[in-house]
Amino acid sequence: MFSSRYWKFFFEETGNIARFAGRLFSQWGKPRYEIAEFFRQCYIIGYKSLPLVTLTTFIMGLVLTMQIRPFLVDYGVESQLPAMVGIAIVREIGPVITALIFAGKIGSSIGAELGSMKVTEQIDAMEVSGTNPFKYLVVTRVLAATFMLPLLAILGDVVALYGAYLGVNMSGVTSFELFWAKVFKYLSFSDVLPAFVKSFFFGFAVGIVGCYKGYYSKKGTEGVGQSANSAVVLSSVLIFIIDLIAVQITDVLNLN
Amino acid sequence: MAAKSFSNFKLGVFVLAGLAFLILSLYLIGKNKNIFGATFMVKAHFRNVQGLTSGNNVRYAGIQVGTVKKITILDNEQIEVELLIDNKMKPYIRKNANATIATDGLMGNKVVNIIPVPGNANPVVPGDILITDEVPGLDNMISTFSGTNNDLAVVVAELKRFMLRINSSSALWSVLNDSSLSRNLNVSLENIRQATARANTMVGDLDGLLLDVKNGKGSLGAILTDTAIAENLNVALMQIKHVAVEADTLAKELSQLTRSIQYDIDQGKGTVNALLKDSVMTRSIHISLDNIQQSTHRFNEVMEGLKHSFLVRGYFRKLEKKQAKEAEKDREAQ
Repeated sequence: MFSSRYWKFFFEETGNIARFAGRLFSQWGKPRYEIAEFFRQCYIIGYKSLPLVTLTTFIMGLVLTMQIRPFLVDYGVESQLPAMVGIAIVREIGPVITALIFAGKIGSSIGAELGSMKVTEQIDAMEVSGTNPFKYLVVTRVLAATFMLPLLAILGDVVALYGAYLGVNMSGVTSFELFWAKVFKYLSFSDVLPAFVKSFFFGFAVGIVGCYKGYYSKKGTEGVGQSANSAVVLSSVLIFIIDLIAVQITDVLNLN
Repeated sequence: MAAKSFSNFKLGVFVLAGLAFLILSLYLIGKNKNIFGATFMVKAHFRNVQGLTSGNNVRYAGIQVGTVKKITILDNEQIEVELLIDNKMKPYIRKNANATIATDGLMGNKVVNIIPVPGNANPVVPGDILITDEVPGLDNMISTFSGTNNDLAVVVAELKRFMLRINSSSALWSVLNDSSLSRNLNVSLENIRQATARANTMVGDLDGLLLDVKNGKGSLGAILTDTAIAENLNVALMQIKHVAVEADTLAKELSQLTRSIQYDIDQGKGTVNALLKDSVMTRSIHISLDNIQQSTHRFNEVMEGLKHSFLVRGYFRKLEKKQAKEAEKDREAQ
């Protein structure tokens, strides 16, 4: 199905990304620290993504609730709706939906931004002027994405749960207190913590893939578009792969 | 380098909000799982834990008080379950409390129920081993159900026959269909209600009356309560008794008298007897009466002769004339 050329490209790409990540790890502990740029990136990557994440997770919570409800009504366990939706949101929907939206917004913007900088040779100019472009551009963005996505995921969970609360109340009456109690009755650390931890990896994946694709963008306007596009695609796929690995690890560690 | 093209304030709010929700959720979960807050540990030994795992809830009288910490196998018959319980519950859980394993709902998680047992006992201390009670599992319950089911089938069959019999009974249906019955019943009930109401009033009145009597009001009360009246009554009764005794004596004397008279009569003695029984005496009375009759006749003759004598003749003539005049007057008046 896939030609040997494709496989060669795949492994080359994987190796390059790994090498890029290694370079990142070797760089981020060393001075000089680009603190101001890091916070600026946090603002852009984290805060500016919040409205989009809020909207999508809210809709997701509401829709999920309304979709699950008829099934639970059939089984006569309608009262377990908050618990069920709560678990689904906290364990899976919250982090993954947030990460996908994040990949779409941040992965593409990082890829396009770095790609256009590469194309317009700003990165080379930066190197000449004595600023470490890797530190200034890549490390700050990857770190910002890594730390902001978990926060976005948590806020997304909260908004999604509120959406679920509205969804529950659309065809029944449940007080917010009862809803809250039901959600937290069945939640445990093994639900919240793995989801929280894996969202760091999602963030890191989005950041590193976006930066890699932008940093090694091909010349020309076409290259910028391609790097933005492939950054989104690859980071989205990586999110699912990491999710798969994360669930295996939590299963092995008996945290499920 | 875009200098300050962002707001530190907004970023701070965003980061803090995210962290706050994370901490809040972790705290709420931890609170549910008794990770924060002081706890103490008690143990319970079971033969079968029925799928209980560490982290399952512990309830005291239905209240969530802790979680199962660890389950260890002691030997081939006993399993030790360590329960972490909120320190606040320490005074309430007694040494004689009963621990059982139950299911939360029909298909929910297993829970350990600590059931208080009436009676005095000291509160538990950490490390105590609670008394356990084996609750029949679902399998036992189902096997019991099958027996119950059979019994139920018999009962239902009987019930069915009973119902059929009721259905085929026309008398019962006519009674049930009779609309006047309910009306009559209503009226009867109304009457009963009135009667009871009256009885109630009556009892109330009686009660009042009794109260009055008790308090010495009214004549009956006076009689029953006034000591002076009682004394007078006593005296009167004594006198009546006395009179009765005298009457008795009188009657006795009378009786004696009549008896003696009777005796006299029987024996022919005394005045009464003479009056009633002596024939000689009656004859002499007869003769006396005859004599009296003859005497008065003779006196009449004497008086007639006297009328014609010259000495008193004038007087009689005058009397005759006067009488004639009066008769003439009467005739003229008529």
